[in-house]
Amino acid sequence: MSTRRRRSIFEIISEYFENLEEWTERFREALIEKPSWNHRACTIEPLSNIMVTPTEVIVTVDLPYAEENTIRVKPIGRDTIEILAKMKRKIRFDDLGITHYKGEFQTLHCQIRIPVPVYTDKMEVRFKRGILEIHLFRKRGHEIPIE
Amino acid sequence: MSEKVEIIERKEIPHDKVMLFGFPDVGLVGVIAASHLISELNLTEVAYMNSRLLPPLIVLHEGLPHSPIRIFGNGSILLAVSETAISAETIYDIMHSLINWGRSKNVRMMISMSGIPVQDRQDIEKLKVFAAASNPEMLKAVQDKGVHVLKEGYMVGPQAIMMQHCANTGLPAVTLLAQCFFNYPDPEAAAALLKELTSITGTKVDVSKLLDKGEEIRLRARDVMRRTRQEMSKMNKTQEYDIPLYVS
Repeated sequence: MSTRRRRSIFEIISEYFENLEEWTERFREALIEKPSWNHRACTIEPLSNIMVTPTEVIVTVDLPYAEENTIRVKPIGRDTIEILAKMKRKIRFDDLGITHYKGEFQTLHCQIRIPVPVYTDKMEVRFKRGILEIHLFRKRGHEIPIE
Repeated sequence: MSEKVEIIERKEIPHDKVMLFGFPDVGLVGVIAASHLISELNLTEVAYMNSRLLPPLIVLHEGLPHSPIRIFGNGSILLAVSETAISAETIYDIMHSLINWGRSKNVRMMISMSGIPVQDRQDIEKLKVFAAASNPEMLKAVQDKGVHVLKEGYMVGPQAIMMQHCANTGLPAVTLLAQCFFNYPDPEAAAALLKELTSITGTKVDVSKLLDKGEEIRLRARDVMRRTRQEMSKMNKTQEYDIPLYVS
């Protein structure tokens, strides 16, 4: 039988502050407005969506102009995935009718936080109609027996 | 017309026309369809909305300021289009003002262009277009044209207000809803809707350019879609997925 080590008060406080910091970061991301492009990195942030089902998390990302064979999905840490795709052609601000900014974009890039625990080391991915669909399988939590 | 909203006419407005609406909603179907109609039919701006209910923004085109809500037209149709997402708090006054303005021009029918989100959209090859109407005669007329009728369900957003207000005031109205993505701009859905619009209004529109420019439209429309998602969430747009409790 395994025994659980009792955590010290310092560990509990440290974890509390780590969680608080993570939540603050999430709120900051949600509340602070930023452009949907990064001129220095030459990237455009695509639209994405998350759906949580009882068994999996389905992430979709709209990737216009994406070159299918360049699409990469990488886990970053335990709750975030990064999506990168090269575009079929460079898009300049001029192409979008914008003349007061200069710059060109050749990559679609976004990071997506997954709201529930999932296995990030195994995922199913498909690309259809310009939409990337990623299926991540949920980690099973503790089940409460029904008496 | 609501005192909070002013519609300023730039040109003489033709009477007895069909008035279309393309407002930001699921898949931006209405806005994409409206934008295509403006370029294909060479519609010109005939009026615009001035109101403190609108967000404090102007849209610059060729260096000149424009209202985010404008009405375009030609000899046969009027088209109201919004280039920004409309907030849930102001949508009633804005839609009522546009409809009342249309009534003052003896508009003979109003048609709202929008989408109906489907979860398996990626796998659908041929998109269906559904319709709802403000009275039984209009419903029969669209059914006779072969358009599927949206029999039961909820409708949320600008088209819901248009349908209710037109039903209350006896103005014939139809809402066309093309199957589409909920969260992503959907030019294919806009093309499917425009094909059905032709059968109802007789206005022929070539959608080949719209389909060819699909990727460019999806890229350009990301920011409008992002803002529209925020407003849709405040309107409880996902209620359209709900199964209604039928009260007879």
